[in-house]
Amino acid sequence: MIIPILAAFAAGLLVILSRQVNGRLSMSTTPLISSFWNHFVGFVFLTVVGLVLGGLIPANIAEMPWWIYTGGAIGVVFVASGSWLITRIGAVNSTLLVIAGQMVFGVIFDLLRGAPVTIWAAALGVVLILAGMWLTQRKR
Amino acid sequence: MPLAPNPFVSGPLLPKLSPPSSYSNRTMTSPPTQRTNPLHLLAAFASGGLLTLAIFVNGEAGRFGGAMFSSWLAHGVGTVVAIVFLAVAWRGQRAAAAEATTKIGKAPLWAYLGGICGAATVMLTSTSVNSPLALAGTLALGLAGQVVLSLAADFWGLLGLPKRRLDLRDAGAVILIAAGSLLIILFGLGAA
Repeated sequence: MIIPILAAFAAGLLVILSRQVNGRLSMSTTPLISSFWNHFVGFVFLTVVGLVLGGLIPANIAEMPWWIYTGGAIGVVFVASGSWLITRIGAVNSTLLVIAGQMVFGVIFDLLRGAPVTIWAAALGVVLILAGMWLTQRKR
Repeated sequence: MPLAPNPFVSGPLLPKLSPPSSYSNRTMTSPPTQRTNPLHLLAAFASGGLLTLAIFVNGEAGRFGGAMFSSWLAHGVGTVVAIVFLAVAWRGQRAAAAEATTKIGKAPLWAYLGGICGAATVMLTSTSVNSPLALAGTLALGLAGQVVLSLAADFWGLLGLPKRRLDLRDAGAVILIAAGSLLIILFGLGAA
C-alpha cells in the first residue's frame, strides 16, 4: 500500500515540477513555445516507452469519437496558460486557483451531465474554495 | 474563457517579471514585491475548468486504450496543435522569444524536459488509481503533493522562478481550498 501512496503523492509533485520547468522555459521563450516543447518531448518520451512496452495503440482506435482527439488541444492551451500564470502569480497561487477551478467546474460539469453528486459535500466544498480564493486576491 | 488574458499574445504582456538581477543574486533578502492581479487569478481559475474538460476527454481516451495511450495521444495531438498555433502566430512569437532571451538569457537544457514530468505523472497515477486508493485517494494525495511542492517552490524560488514571500494569508488560502477540495473529492463526487 505504501507504493501507490507514494506514487499518488509523487504525481502531485510532478504536476508542480512540470509547471515550474515549463514556466522557466517560457521566461526565455514564450508560453506557447514552452507548451510546444512540453508536448513534443512528452510525445517522444511516451513513444519510446510505448515501443518498449508494446501495445500502445488500441485495436479499436477507429471507433473513438472525434472529440476524444480534442484533449491534446485543450492541453496546449492549459500548459501555455500555466507557464504564463506561474511567472505572474507564483506557484502557490497557480496551484490553488487551478485546483479551485478544477473542483468548482468539476462539480458543475458532473451536475450538468447527471453524474452522482452529493450535494451537501459539494456545496460546502465550493463555499470553502471560494472563501480561500477570496483570501488569495485580498490586497495586502 | 472570455476573461482570461490570451497566453498567445506577445509583446506588452511578456515578462513583467522582477528584474533579472533577482535571478543572479540568489542571496538577496527581500523577495520581489508581490501584487496579484485579480484578472490573473480569474484566468488561473478558468484554466482549472479547462483541466476538468481535458481530464474528462483524456479519461474517455483511456477507456479505449489505457492511460498510457491516452497520454500519448494527448501529447501527439498537442504537438500538432501547438505547431499550428505557432505557425499562425510565428512572427510575434519569434520576436517575443528573441526579446525574452535577450532579457532573461537562454533557457537551461533541463527547462525543455517539462514534458517528461507530465508523461511520468500519467504512469504514476495509473498505478495508484488501480490500487485501493482508487481515483479519490489518488486525487487527494496528488493535491497534497501539489501543495507541498508549490509552497517549497515559492519559498525558495526553485528552478529559476521568482521567490515569493508566504504569509498567514497564504496559509489560510491553502487550508480553505485544500479542505474544500478534499470534501468534494472524498464525499462530493461519485466516489462517495
